[in-house]
Amino acid sequence: MSSKRENKKANLQKIEEFTIKAKEQGADLVIFPELSLTGYVLHDQVYELAEVIPGPSTERVEQLAKKTGIHIIFGMPELSEKTKATIFNTAVFVGPKGFIGKFRKMYLPTHSVFEEKRYFRPGYQITAFKTAIGNIGLFICYDIFFPEVCRLTRLKGAELMVCISASPAVRRGYFEILTASRALENTAFLAYVNLVGIEDGLQFWGGSRVVSPTGDLLVKAKYDEEDLVICEVDYSDMRPAETFIPMLRDLRPELFDELKKHSETL
Amino acid sequence: MKLTPSVLELDLPDVEKRIKRFIKEYVENARADGIVLGLSGGIDSGTVAAMSSLSVGGSRVTGLMLPEKETYNSKDIDDAKFVAKKFGLKTKVCNITPVLEGFYNTIPIFDQADKLCKGNIKARTRMIYLYYYANKLNKIVCGSSDKSETMMGYFTKWGDVAADISPLMDLYKTQVRKLADHIGIPSELVAKPSTPALWPNQLAETELGIKYETLDLILYGFEKFMTTKEIAQQISVKKSLVEKVKNRWLSVEHKRRLPLAPKVEYRTVGTDFRLPRHIY
Repeated sequence: MSSKRENKKANLQKIEEFTIKAKEQGADLVIFPELSLTGYVLHDQVYELAEVIPGPSTERVEQLAKKTGIHIIFGMPELSEKTKATIFNTAVFVGPKGFIGKFRKMYLPTHSVFEEKRYFRPGYQITAFKTAIGNIGLFICYDIFFPEVCRLTRLKGAELMVCISASPAVRRGYFEILTASRALENTAFLAYVNLVGIEDGLQFWGGSRVVSPTGDLLVKAKYDEEDLVICEVDYSDMRPAETFIPMLRDLRPELFDELKKHSETL
Repeated sequence: MKLTPSVLELDLPDVEKRIKRFIKEYVENARADGIVLGLSGGIDSGTVAAMSSLSVGGSRVTGLMLPEKETYNSKDIDDAKFVAKKFGLKTKVCNITPVLEGFYNTIPIFDQADKLCKGNIKARTRMIYLYYYANKLNKIVCGSSDKSETMMGYFTKWGDVAADISPLMDLYKTQVRKLADHIGIPSELVAKPSTPALWPNQLAETELGIKYETLDLILYGFEKFMTTKEIAQQISVKKSLVEKVKNRWLSVEHKRRLPLAPKVEYRTVGTDFRLPRHIY
């Protein structure tokens, strides 16, 4: 999806249109990119656009989920309920029965063309949501560069790991490797959904995809253009994958202590 | 990293696609009727003219040829016309000599011998013509600055660099030449030495004091966060040459930015008013 920047009304309309199309094609879950409600390059305008969750936009998407009977994940700037201008880069998850949960981006890129730490507070919670369509974990874009985010999502029971993203073109190669790796190393399904369109010269490359627990590409959307692709996920495929290469069985928790110690003293 | 000429290789079909998409989307979103650009007969303007035509159609692109008597060169006009014909864009010729003479004759402190100050008048006058056409025809001005010249500050502030978009600004000069060749610009024009045409016989490489093949590798090294010492070792040039390039690159940041303002209030234009460039 390509978002119209600062135009929540137009983007909600597009979310609705895609959701209806997805429903018509038999989908149980439809996923939209990072900050798809507002567009990605917002700078100071993010303060005007952020909303509490649940709030007006999430309520509208909840209504859509109820109306269509499918689950929806999308991204938006979230205003903290407790403060006046503390904002998170958040993925929202709603279903036919209403609001399911949210994930606040943990790793905020602040390098190169990115300035997320200037605007967003990082999230601190990783969760896998138990739903009628399986256990679903969420994370956002740059989080995928840190295997521990995905791993923890998996250890909390995620069967489908969903990464919403706003990745510009030059990084395509990195994400194509990382999406396959995260699925493979966790022997779970991974859905990666990226923005398209051009915002302030940044060209988002699309290429959304679902990767199998063995790292195989199951479906891929077009590069650079809006697209809707559907993929059936069969969780029973996880068992042979995990049996064949039992990475979760072979985890060595004591190394995580070492990781912690050395990370703190880098 | 090995700093060899191969690091400047590009996926040319992908770069062509990306730049064309950028131009097309910008023109559409700006609700402009097309593009105005300066057509000097050089490689950068020829490439940007071709890319503009390939993006939005030649009938929507106006190439302005802006000769003046001191730097007039019929070969440049022929080259510009050749590109215009090949890529189907419209051209207009405006002789800017009378306007320039108007400046020379009315600036009380005008110094005929000061080539640079005088040359900058030419670049800024060309900019005025481009923007007049753009305003009048509801078009955008497309600049032809490349990355090598922009990093070196080898342009006239508010002159040749002034534009609404600069589609080639993330390509080094040697990469522009490769792209030009890829999209069908004749090899003779691809190899033509660059000149800003501010005074007769001015050549970019002579003035910069370095070949673009070397300069681009040095700048690429800085882009990839390499140190001066590493770059000098990798391409077997004196460290002093690399330092000279670095100093020039860093000292001309003022030419690439909005004017600096003193911080007085909460949010300041150009400093911490951080706004999206366009909302469509």
